[in-house]
Order: sequence, then C-alpha cells, then structure tokens
Amino acid sequence: MAREAATVASLALPVEAPAAPAGGWRRAWRVGRKRPAAAAGAVIVLLYAAMAAGAPWIAPSDPTRTDWGQIRKAPSRAHPFGTDDLGRDGFSRVVWGARISMQAGVFSILLAILIGVPIGLVAGYYRGALDQLIMRLTDAWLAFPFLILAIGLVTILGPSLTNATLAIGLGATPTYIRLTRGLVLSTSAEDYVHGARALGAGDVRVMGRHILPNIVSAIVVQATVAIPTAIIAEAVLSFLGLGVQPPAPSWGTMLNTAQQFLEQAPWMAYWPGLAIFVLALSFNLAGDGLRDVLDPRDS
Amino acid sequence: MIEFLARRAMISVVTLLVISVIVFVGVRMIPGDPARVLAGSDADAAGIEEIREKYGLNAPIPVQYVRWLALAVRGDLGESIRTRQPVTRTVAIKLPITLELACLSLLVAVAIAVPAGVVAAVRRNSVWDVLASGVSLCGVSIPNFWLGIMLILLVSVRLGWLPASGFVPIADDPLGNLRRMLMPSLVLGAGLAAVLMRQTRNAMIEVLSADYVRTARAKGLAQPAVVVRHALRNGLIPVVTILGLQMGALMSGAVVTEQIFVLPGFGRLIVEAVFTRDYPVVQGVVLLTASSYVLINLLVDVSYTVLNPRIRIRGTADGA
Repeated sequence: MAREAATVASLALPVEAPAAPAGGWRRAWRVGRKRPAAAAGAVIVLLYAAMAAGAPWIAPSDPTRTDWGQIRKAPSRAHPFGTDDLGRDGFSRVVWGARISMQAGVFSILLAILIGVPIGLVAGYYRGALDQLIMRLTDAWLAFPFLILAIGLVTILGPSLTNATLAIGLGATPTYIRLTRGLVLSTSAEDYVHGARALGAGDVRVMGRHILPNIVSAIVVQATVAIPTAIIAEAVLSFLGLGVQPPAPSWGTMLNTAQQFLEQAPWMAYWPGLAIFVLALSFNLAGDGLRDVLDPRDS
Repeated sequence: MIEFLARRAMISVVTLLVISVIVFVGVRMIPGDPARVLAGSDADAAGIEEIREKYGLNAPIPVQYVRWLALAVRGDLGESIRTRQPVTRTVAIKLPITLELACLSLLVAVAIAVPAGVVAAVRRNSVWDVLASGVSLCGVSIPNFWLGIMLILLVSVRLGWLPASGFVPIADDPLGNLRRMLMPSLVLGAGLAAVLMRQTRNAMIEVLSADYVRTARAKGLAQPAVVVRHALRNGLIPVVTILGLQMGALMSGAVVTEQIFVLPGFGRLIVEAVFTRDYPVVQGVVLLTASSYVLINLLVDVSYTVLNPRIRIRGTADGA
C-alpha cells in the first residue's frame, strides 16, 4: 500500500472545500487515476448494485422456474452458467442472488450503525457509570463468536433472510459501539466542542451537530470493511441452512446444493462462490481507496 | 500489577455473568412452553408436568436463573433432548476434534502469515510487499466455505490425492487423521493468515523504525539478526493480542469447516442441535464458547501484561 504524504494531502484538500457536485466527480476521477485498483473495485460494486436492481430485466429466466428436461446441464449457449439439480438456470440464479446478498450486507450494517452509533455516542459523551455499564455489556456481547450468536438467534427466531440480516447486524453492533465511543472520547476534548458548550449548546446539540459530523467518515470507512464481511456472513448462514430458505436464489444456498453434486455438476459450485468472492474483494478494494480520501490521518 | 490483574479478572467475571444472563434469557425467549420443549414432541401432559417439576420451571424466573447458574458452574448443563446424554459429556467427546482443527489451522496461519508479514515489512513497497498485501486482501474476501469446496473439487475429486471428508481418530491412525485434517486446516487457516499477515506487517514496520533497532544496526549487526532477534520479538506482541481476538472468528470458521468436511466436532454438533431443536445442547455450546472466549482473552491479556511492562504501569487496558 504505497501512499505518499504529498498525494494524500493533495487529495484531502478539496474535502474541506464546499465541493460542488462537479468538483466531487473531478475528485473521484483524480483519486481513481491514482488508485486504479480502488476505482475498479468501486465500479464493480456499482455493477453488482445495478445487477441487483435490474435482476428482473437482466436474468434471462425466472430463477425459481424448474425444468425437468434440463437437470444439471453443463454450461451452454442457452445456460451460460449451466443448470442446477432442478433444471433452474444458473445465470439467472446468480443474478438474483446479488439482490439477496446486497440486501443482507447493506441492511445488516445499517442496523448495526443505527444501534451502535447512538449507544457509543452516549457512552463516550457521558462516561462514568453509564459508560462502564455499556462497555461491560459490549464485552459480553463481543464474547459470542459471530456465527455462534447468529445460530443462537436463528434458533430463537427461525431461519429467514430477515432474521439472518438481524443476526448479522446485531453481531456487528459492538464494533460500532466501541468505535464510536473511542472517536467521541477524542473528539469531546477538541476546542470546538468546548466552544459549542460554552455558547450554551445542549448535550443533544453538541452530540448531533458538533461531534457526529466529525466522526461520520470513520464510521463510513468501517462500514466499507464491514459490508463484505456481512455479505460473506449471509452466504455462510444460508450455506448452513440458517439463512435464506429454498427456493430463493441465495449464493450460499446455491453452494449448499452444489456441494452434493460436486462430481457430476462442478459448475454449480463455481459461479455463486466466484460472485461472492469478487463482490467482497471489490468492496474491500473500494474501501481502501475511500479510507485514503476520507481519513488521510490513518496512513 | 497484582491490582491490575485482579481488576482485569473482575471484569471477566462480570462479563461471564452478563453472558450467562443473555444465554438464559435467550433460551426463555424461544416461543412456547419450555417444559414442552424440554420434554420433546412426543411427551404427554404427565411427562411435561414431570419435566416442569424436575427443572423447577414453576419457580419465579430469577430463582430459576440462580439454580441454573449454580448447576452450570458445577458443570451440569442439563441433558440433550435427542440423545439423553449430559450436554457436558457430549461436548467433551466432540471438543478434541475441534481443538485439533483449531491448533492445526493456527499453525498453518502463523507459518504463512509471520514470514510473509516480516518480508513485506522489511522489503516495504517492493513487489513482495504488494504481492503479500494482494494475497492477504484476497484471503479476507474469499468465503472460506467456497475455498473448501473448490479444494475438495481439485484435490479430492479431480486429483484424488486426499479424502474429501470423514474423520479418523488420531489414536487409531495418525497418518489417516492428518490426511483428513490437512484440507480443513488449510481452509480455516487461510482466512486467519490473511488477517495475521496484515497485523504482522504493520507491527514490524512500526518496530523496525524504533530507536533500539537503529542502535542494533549501528553497532553493526547483520540484517537477519536485527530483524529476528530485535524486531520480531517485539513486533509479535501485538500480534498475540490479535490472535486472542481472532479466537471468535476461528470458532465461527470451525463450524463451517466441519460442516464442509464432515468432521464430527463441536461446530457440527451445534448445527445439528439447531436443526433437531435440541435446545439444551445449543444453550450449553453457546455458553461454553462465549465463556472460553472470555477466558482465552483474559489469558492473552495476562500474558501481554507479563510481556509488556508499560501496560502494568498505565493499568488501563480498557475492556479487551
């Protein structure tokens, strides 16, 4: 990860300026040229998003339509990704799978942010006994390995996409509590926070108007790292049969089925896995680039 | 130092108590009558009443919690609905398999990550550094269950080198055991290696710019001696902490890996328990995993304190 201080500074400067939309695009273009891998990652993530949004138009056939005459057919012109054990079109299922993956990845982290950031704000801002209580709860929460926590929750709630998303979101929440609390602790000591308080701003105003805007970029950067992890987590839960239920086309569920036919129909295992891998990798690459733009200190 | 350790241990005890409350409440949140659940689907009214009596389910919830905790502390986590075996015994049978898998994976991860991280840090910004970072990024992005499936496809189905699944106890056939554990350990170790490599690289870069490393160089020590004797020993301290925090990921990974390679360990036990709605087993396994995570991290913190005196003096290793 080669990055020179001069580059980072020149990239970071426009962030302070009240950038017009055109300036934003120009900046993105400049960053993209400096870091082609990050730009490629961002483009691929956008392509996946487009694929998820446009699934009904992109997929050549209904992802749940079975065809008994086309069971486990190797990739061909009619079925570029082959067909599965029920004769469903592999390509259509991979395209629709993007919808489930993106949904689970984005909504779970959104949930984690919505719960974790306010709790972290309160803990870091008020400190004292409340902070201690919150942090002890967070410690206990963190002690449940993600999958074990998810399995416990799914046992209670029952397996579904919503519950898997909920479980992933709750699993990611303690990270946000800790991150926000740490950021608030350092931001509260800044002069402008003291200034705002001296001018008579209330707690809610100080937190919402003065602290939050200054920690938002770190939270966004953390989200770009957390989303690919959440996407893989959804695939894992569905692979274990604890997430999305058949016949819905989730990449994890598809891999679960594929494992039973590895010898006869290996193509069933190639594409869903590759789809997850490329999406997670692109998110991570784009996240690295975003970190350099939003958080030039961290280098 | 004693004071710091005592406080750290106190925090762990509090954490364990909170965990026990969460697990207890969690099981009570399962829809339906717990007595009916515990008795199994084929129990009649008398059987359910018997269970209710046996487990004291007529008592107030806080009383139930205290009783349950008292039993749990003594190692009694109830019995499996499916097999009627005590949960602790079931776990004790499955645990060694998962422990073997975890240790081998850790070995794989350290064997890959530490040398790669050191080389990347020493030859910073070189081709090797970029390559190592790229591979590490791929490592965190690849779903390990897919990696496992692809390995089975290549090594077992196509090449026929290693068996795809199954387990042989190490006492019966050490070589057969190792042949079956090799792929699972590689799969589980790969993700961990990716994380560890980044940490090792960052820690080494920091340490290599420290004064004592410059001193070591200035007195004419050769590069390998500087890197290994002076830098690596200090650079690995934060890596050990990360290892402790990664235990959770390792446990989660073991669940999936055991599922793919059909290893009859701890992880397979919990997935089976969920599908058969064997609540006492799920409860016991969740409680044991979370507790062991807390204890492992307590141990890591204690050893960290012993290794790094600065922590003792400052005395504020907040939380983790």
